[in-house]
Amino acid sequence: MTNHVQPLTTRGWVPSPRAIAIAGGVLGVAAFWSTIPPFTARSPVVPIVIGVLAVAAGIWATTRGARRIGIGAIAAGVIGIGLGVVATRSSSSNLNTVFTADLIAQILAFATPLTFGALGGMVSERSGVVNVGLEGMMLMGAFWGVYVADKSGSWAVGILGAMVAGGLFALIHAVWSIHFRADQIISGMAINFLALGVTGYFFEQLYGQQNIPSGVSTVPNVRLPVISRWHFLGPAIGNLNLLIWVGILLVPLSYVILFKTPIGLRVRACGEHPRAADTVGIDVYKVRYAAVTTSGMLAALGGAFLSIGYLGGSFTENMTEGRGFIALAAMIFGNWRPFGAWGAALLFGFSTALAYRLPVYSGSAATLFQTLPYVLTLIAVAGVIGRSVPPAADGRPYVKQ
Amino acid sequence: MVDETVLELRGITKVYPGIVADDHVDFDLKRGEVHALLGENGAGKSTLMNILYGLTKPDEGEIVIAGKQKSFTSAKDAIAAGIGMVHQHFMLIPVMTVAENIVLGVEPTREGVFLDEKGAEERVRELSHQFGLAVDPTALVANTTVGQQQRVEILKALYRGAEILILDEPTAVLTPQEAGELFEIVRSLTADGKSVIFISHKLNEVLEIADRITVLRRGKKIDTVPREGATEEGLARMMVGRDVLLRVDKAAARPGEIALDVREVRVVDERGLEKVRGVSFTVRNGEIVAIAGVDGNGQTELIEAITGLRPFTGTVAVGGRPVEGNATPRRMLDAGIGHIPEDRHRRGLVLEFNLAENLALHDYDREPDSKHGWLYPKRLIARAGRLIREFDIRGGGPLTLARALSGGNQQKVVVAREVERDPTVLIAAQPTRGLDVGAIEYVHRRLVAERDAGHAILLVSLELEEVLSLADRILVMYEGQIVGEHGAGAGEEEIGLEMLGGRKAAAA
Amino acid sequence: MSQAAPTANVPPEQEPSTNFTVKLGIAQRAGGAVVPVMTGVLAFLAGGIVVAATGHNPWTAYKGIWQGAGFNWLFHIPWNTNTINLSAFNLSQTLLLTTTLILCGLAVAFPFRCGLFNIGGQGQYLVGLVVANWVGVSFASWPTLPHVLLGIFAAAAAGAVWAGIAGFLKATTGAHEVISTIMLNWIAIWGAQYLFGQGGPLQNTYNPAAPESGTVVQSAKIPVFWGSSALQGTDVGFFVALAMLVVFWLILNRTTLGYEVRATGFNPDAAAYGGINVRNKYIQAMAISGAFAGLAGALDMLGYLFQFGVLDVQASQIGFLGIAVALLGRNTAVGTGIAAFLFGGLLYGTTRGLNPNVFDPGLAGNLTSMIQGLIVLFVGADILILYVWNSRRKLKRRVAPA
Repeated sequence: MTNHVQPLTTRGWVPSPRAIAIAGGVLGVAAFWSTIPPFTARSPVVPIVIGVLAVAAGIWATTRGARRIGIGAIAAGVIGIGLGVVATRSSSSNLNTVFTADLIAQILAFATPLTFGALGGMVSERSGVVNVGLEGMMLMGAFWGVYVADKSGSWAVGILGAMVAGGLFALIHAVWSIHFRADQIISGMAINFLALGVTGYFFEQLYGQQNIPSGVSTVPNVRLPVISRWHFLGPAIGNLNLLIWVGILLVPLSYVILFKTPIGLRVRACGEHPRAADTVGIDVYKVRYAAVTTSGMLAALGGAFLSIGYLGGSFTENMTEGRGFIALAAMIFGNWRPFGAWGAALLFGFSTALAYRLPVYSGSAATLFQTLPYVLTLIAVAGVIGRSVPPAADGRPYVKQ
Repeated sequence: MVDETVLELRGITKVYPGIVADDHVDFDLKRGEVHALLGENGAGKSTLMNILYGLTKPDEGEIVIAGKQKSFTSAKDAIAAGIGMVHQHFMLIPVMTVAENIVLGVEPTREGVFLDEKGAEERVRELSHQFGLAVDPTALVANTTVGQQQRVEILKALYRGAEILILDEPTAVLTPQEAGELFEIVRSLTADGKSVIFISHKLNEVLEIADRITVLRRGKKIDTVPREGATEEGLARMMVGRDVLLRVDKAAARPGEIALDVREVRVVDERGLEKVRGVSFTVRNGEIVAIAGVDGNGQTELIEAITGLRPFTGTVAVGGRPVEGNATPRRMLDAGIGHIPEDRHRRGLVLEFNLAENLALHDYDREPDSKHGWLYPKRLIARAGRLIREFDIRGGGPLTLARALSGGNQQKVVVAREVERDPTVLIAAQPTRGLDVGAIEYVHRRLVAERDAGHAILLVSLELEEVLSLADRILVMYEGQIVGEHGAGAGEEEIGLEMLGGRKAAAA
Repeated sequence: MSQAAPTANVPPEQEPSTNFTVKLGIAQRAGGAVVPVMTGVLAFLAGGIVVAATGHNPWTAYKGIWQGAGFNWLFHIPWNTNTINLSAFNLSQTLLLTTTLILCGLAVAFPFRCGLFNIGGQGQYLVGLVVANWVGVSFASWPTLPHVLLGIFAAAAAGAVWAGIAGFLKATTGAHEVISTIMLNWIAIWGAQYLFGQGGPLQNTYNPAAPESGTVVQSAKIPVFWGSSALQGTDVGFFVALAMLVVFWLILNRTTLGYEVRATGFNPDAAAYGGINVRNKYIQAMAISGAFAGLAGALDMLGYLFQFGVLDVQASQIGFLGIAVALLGRNTAVGTGIAAFLFGGLLYGTTRGLNPNVFDPGLAGNLTSMIQGLIVLFVGADILILYVWNSRRKLKRRVAPA
């Protein structure tokens, strides 16, 4: 029987099939990694050997119960070999243009709004409310974040403003889905349209043709004291935006809250079996309201990262350009789990970052590469490799007896 | 045993529109005893216990626990008063561990923030050791057996400090072995001073486990008797009562050819439990064969299998021809089966469709309703008009939505549709459920008329009276098997006993 | 036999039979045309409040939009059909957008009647657009009628396949159609950018620097019936869209397929009991829906766009607007037609049709999105209002002496 839920605790450190599978996945990435700067192995043997190890680990794990991650490791190994061999045949100078240390920085930057959005969506859906309005909540965060930062002169207040705006829109979604028992998809889509209109309208009204003035207070970068001077690691992570780090820290944090605290247990109970939660005295409505509102605030952080973080104090209409939907995809692809969602966000960030650089090889192929997140998610929901399974009561309004 | 009363229910009354669920029911529970609540479906047991557990508010009456009068507004209050309930449908989260399920809502913590998993598991182990409830706290509920899940539910109540335990039909989902283990657990609980309310409609169980037995019938308490001296026959009489039967005028049956031949049918449900365990029987033209039994003994699954709604193993032959290949509803319809489903709202009708559309549900895709995929609504309407007159459907015309009709008239629509197709075998599953007397009489007369016209009728009913007044032959189903077969003149008590598992040992 | 019980697949509770399609059925009966009209009025009122709150006169703004949409032309009797007349021109442009919106609305409405929510109208529309462009650029030697028909049928078929994927996944693996259509949207959006972009297979051959498609040849252009073909007149595709409203109604109400679709949408259990293959209906409903959206793409491409670029793909939202059109139109043929005309006017009247001196088109365009959002939101809520209204009646009955 397949089940995608790991036991609560892993006692001791016996290499479990799960650990081996994860190691296999890492090896698969390493197979490709070995061929690109800074390592730049030029012989195809290197990625093949590492990749075969990854596949072996994957097969071993798959036969011992860790099916989903095991198959992932096998796939990672195969893809690692493929990409690695291709890379060894490519010219060094091209490789150096594509795979620079700041590719890492760029992956993290592209992954950050997706991480915030995916974690937000996860919180909401874990409590049993489907959130297809992430895009809108993110967009609200982007605009009101930069507006408040501009008017207050403080990026910190701007972030607060973003969270309030995203939270408010999420609250609408919460009232509609929990209290009115409206169709959660319809309500979520309404949030998206509404946010597009509201942000565009107020952008035009408040800034007209002038655009956001330069010099808006933006979220600072964090310069790591020693690491920033190191080779490779320095340009990779030595000088990242504060929100990138916040996003990364939120991953283990949300994992701990969701899986290691009573609050998380109750949230998950509401998403799996609200009636059971109700019979032991948990207020399902309260939990869901809190989760959906939190979801909007997190998504808004992702939006704020775009406007006053990475892009340094700017806004354009429909700035999020579907990132909320990729975040949704990342959440699904990550199987409604924090590290899974983060991994998916990194993968999708990687595909976007690569797409920006691939024009060295082929411009049109680079664009096509952008479809990767969606294709992968489609495959995941269809259940070809380890089916993505939402919380059992996801999307079902709860009616008290 | 100390004769200390821990719980008293006084004059509990609950009225729902149209029915009095509980009518001034008194009930009391002593420390360390098992007090069984016995009654048919709809006798008022569940309502009474929902009131005690704070899920339903009574219209009248009071709850006294340990001498203090209580008023519950939610399950939380009842839990605080030391009441635990094991619902018939488990309230467990499959993807969580046993320990997580047990502590949910009252979790132990470390440093006030983190879930203390170790502590929770430890506490669960202690409790399970104390009461002999073997469970693995770290196992996922999804990977445990139904019997284990029930123990988890009991532990959930004990973890919350329950002194009074309500077990709602606890053996309904268990195998006989598991039921035996449950009784052991119940005995160890009472030995420890806990009190248990044991809801059931199975006589043998009640006589095995209960100290006292209270019988409810139609919302009224009939009597409370000690186990000593109680007999299955006596209890059955109290449960079923001596109400006047609705007699149907009918001539003796003249059975003809075998119309429906069911052989060794087995059905496994979504949970992997075998709900129908090798059932074989025949129905002949011109006779009504009734399947009697208490709800949940596999009748629903059996009918769904025969009508193609559920996969099964075994063979079904209609009119002498076995149905080939995978049974789909379409194939079964074409083979000559008509089906009045047990839930007309879920299956029998599309409530948002008008009567003309509903009456065409099986035949919309053949002439004269349609031709080459083209639908002729006028013909649907014309036919509906004819059937509405013929079957005396009141409350609307062909264009009235099914939702707008009364229950009785909705059922007439279903009956009209199935009868009009002139099926070889007509299956009527609980055809009078929720209908008023007039409609019941109508349906009964119609079924007899169909029989007299030479059709084979398979009736499934939970009402023994209905079975007795209609059937030419009676099959009794218990736990997925046919445990008895009787002629038309069979005694009510004898059948009742078999329905309740009283003859289980003899039949097995 | 294994004793393990896979309870994970058992739904935790039985919901009352109120899926969206059923609720909509109730709403339709109880509210008739009043509720959608109220929904629209409420959304425009709320939009007006925002306009007023930001220091503009909502009356002038809406009047400007009204005129920008060319709606005022309808009241200037005798009608002057010459599109040199500004209001006539505006109305002709509104009709162009109405054509698209009718079809995109039907693409949402049809699967809705089968209990499915197709959010993928945008993607299916783009797929149609792309295929129509390919056909329209190629086969230059063909005569007009077969060329246009080929473009239309190919685009509709492509849209059907694209949406059919979601239906197929739903039928075979149970993958939720909302998720799969969202994913298919973005695959189509990026796919179209790839195809039209630099070095893409469908990029034009005369200007390699421009990330744009080739231009549809003369023989594949749909004839214009109102205005000048040089000035983007209204093409006969408008009548095709109107015909599709009739087709939609006929399929639903006059064919066995429509009967099956409606039965499945209202009550899949009863449909299965009646002998209907519910899974096939999911696939068919999605495919038909995709054909409507693909047709919309074809009519746009061969009717007045003739060419499409990467930037156009990024800016295009009209397929999404189909959701609001269908919901406001209550998933009926007449309702969808009226709602499409309203949104067509709104869309044109807030953008190119709007006199910039009356109201800033930058604001007005976003006002459209806002009103769109509010309408969708209120559709969710008005079902609730009726639901509350119904349960209050039920409650009254319960309180009354039993």
